[in-house]
Amino acid sequence: MREVLMMRFSEIHLKGLNRPYFMRMLVERIKEAVKDVHGHVWLSDSRVYVSDATDMDEALRRVRKVFGVHSVCRAVEMDKNDFEGILAQSVLLMEDKQGTFKVEARRSDKRYPMDSMEINREVGHCLNEKLPHLTVDVHNPGTRLSIEIRDHAYLYTEPLPAVGGMPVGTSGRATVLLSGGIDSPVAAWMIAKRGVLMSAVHFQSPPYTSERARDKVLSLGKLLSESLCGLNVHLVPFTDLQMQIHERCHPDYTTIVMRRCMMRIANLIAKQEHALALVTGESIGQVASQTLHALQVTDSVSQLPVFRPLIGFDKQEIVDLAIKIGTFETSSLPYEDCCTVFTPRHPATKPKLDIILDGEAKLDMETLIAQAVEHTEIVRV
Amino acid sequence: MTKIYLDNSATTKPYPEVIDAMTFSMREEFYNPSALYKQAVETERRLTGARGIVAAPLGMKAENVVFTSGGTESNNLGILGHLKTLRGGGTVLYSGAEHAAVRNTCAEAEAMSFTVKRLPLDRRGSLDMQALEEMLDDTVRLICVMHVCNETGAVMPVEQVVALRDRLAPQAAVHVDGVQAYLRVPMNMKKLRIQSYAVSAHKVHGPKGVGALILQNGHKIGPLIFGGDHQRGLRAGTDNTVGAAGFAAAVSACRPEAYAALKQVKSEMAKALLAAIPDAVIIGPLPEDPDSASHILCISLPPVKAETMVHALAAEGVIVGTGSACSSRSRKYSVALSEMGVAPKLMDSAVRISFSAPNTLDEAKQAAERIAAQYQLLKKFIRR
Repeated sequence: MREVLMMRFSEIHLKGLNRPYFMRMLVERIKEAVKDVHGHVWLSDSRVYVSDATDMDEALRRVRKVFGVHSVCRAVEMDKNDFEGILAQSVLLMEDKQGTFKVEARRSDKRYPMDSMEINREVGHCLNEKLPHLTVDVHNPGTRLSIEIRDHAYLYTEPLPAVGGMPVGTSGRATVLLSGGIDSPVAAWMIAKRGVLMSAVHFQSPPYTSERARDKVLSLGKLLSESLCGLNVHLVPFTDLQMQIHERCHPDYTTIVMRRCMMRIANLIAKQEHALALVTGESIGQVASQTLHALQVTDSVSQLPVFRPLIGFDKQEIVDLAIKIGTFETSSLPYEDCCTVFTPRHPATKPKLDIILDGEAKLDMETLIAQAVEHTEIVRV
Repeated sequence: MTKIYLDNSATTKPYPEVIDAMTFSMREEFYNPSALYKQAVETERRLTGARGIVAAPLGMKAENVVFTSGGTESNNLGILGHLKTLRGGGTVLYSGAEHAAVRNTCAEAEAMSFTVKRLPLDRRGSLDMQALEEMLDDTVRLICVMHVCNETGAVMPVEQVVALRDRLAPQAAVHVDGVQAYLRVPMNMKKLRIQSYAVSAHKVHGPKGVGALILQNGHKIGPLIFGGDHQRGLRAGTDNTVGAAGFAAAVSACRPEAYAALKQVKSEMAKALLAAIPDAVIIGPLPEDPDSASHILCISLPPVKAETMVHALAAEGVIVGTGSACSSRSRKYSVALSEMGVAPKLMDSAVRISFSAPNTLDEAKQAAERIAAQYQLLKKFIRR
């Protein structure tokens, strides 16, 4: 008898012939997650199991964050042929519970001498006798005692919800524009949840942005990396380009030209990372560069599709998600980033393409972009 | 490019004498001064000597000194340590210019059933004396006023505060946060009859992690840290002999004339910046005012944000501060500057230039040139 974590997976069961590939990836991701606590991971009979971790609480915390896991149970694994043992363990699991209960047996081993209804009846009867403070309610029970008869018997009471989604790495790669604010980490997390392996680009304006702003972005990357299975953060020096934009472009258009330059650079870095899409944390109308007009002219320079998972979200909804995934506190640290240092007073909300193109024609864009990419520092977090 | 350090109100570089004294203390005099044997007695003597050296610039003696972990603890001990000896509650007043170490400690006094009130400032950052006069009555038990404002360099009228206290609330104690004033602005505690004065070593080229609370003869406080009967039972814990040695060495190495010369350094810096940057605004008293400390200049350089300016200057080898370094992790406006009615636009662009004894006139001139150059560069790019 031992304690195991028994995981159900989310959408993978909808997959057809390539289902084994998704399962294999999920097992790999769970193995990575519990590697530090030396958990033993295996797949059996449509469940993934973790056992023998040095710290089962930590293993549980980690597997709940693995994309692709639907729910986790802390189950007791025991010999299925020792029915007396199963009864005794059922009493142990239920003795501190109050109110009503139901036994829910499930039998994937069809050769087992008792069927599910019989198991329910026997265990229910035993609990009624040994724990008279509990009463049966099969329609709306306070506690469900689950008994799964597989290669072993697995007993548990409270399945814990996990994050869901698809195993990272099953849906290709994408590159997120990570600003250090509240939105972009949430956007990265949402796309990664669909199984996408992420890398990140951050634009900095040395010396005008703080070393702490850089540390902040790397901290955010680190916070995300557990869910994202590691992250390459590309730190792009952006000052020279920003200064030239401010010197040579129309004052109201500096932000939009800057965004277009960021997109161009992000495309180049995405290619280095073999990414098939860019991801941003924009939502319609949040700031001047996020009006539909601005998004349209920003997108027009990107060869890769740009995904914006937060596009229809209100700020509060984004904040709530940021709190849930644990990035809000770090995102709220007050350091100037490259966008806030060089902000025009009246950024154009309905930018006109001819004015943009006119401004861009005055820039040494190719050279400056090449230099920025060349001097980009890559940090693996 | 020479480096010019002008953030001395955040901290100062330890003098070589300080490092030597601390090294000696660690190598040779590591004994516990509470022990009985001869070597420990010598260490204790040296510790007492250090107390005397720290107390002397304030006109006090070794027995008036309680060593602490720094300015914040000294203020906590001066305020809460005194309030816990009082019975029956009462009113605590503190100036709107106070550092968080005093402001938040006074807030804590509310939990001890004291009524806590903030004293307003005038537009120059000095205490509004009329308001103080109106607020003083027989319920006031403690008045907290800093000697020099860490943000504006305003020297507070401590003498007048004491005179008003004597006339209107003689029962009240006066606690002074002297962290930014000690050794730089004269203070004779005995003459001025203030009850406690908080100081910190690392603001005067000593080590971090050491401070002291200097107590007036007969002034009562209780301990905030409990344990053995070290420091007459006022602050338990094995004496920090190494820190005390460093603090005393810093005080001994201090040259008062070097601080006096800073008046001209600050004045030249202000003059150069005002000439080069027409939009520059000095926040707090003007350098020529008698209540302007010679080592702190708060100047706003709109429209360039202070944070951007600080980073740009750091790349040019000039280190200055924004407001109070302690609050660089929050974006809230400074309480003191808000209390003075400074416009948010000016606060956004306010840098604090703070000098210390080693700074020269030539450094001030060079720094002013680099600040002006960065200002002209950044102004082109920001907030058009």
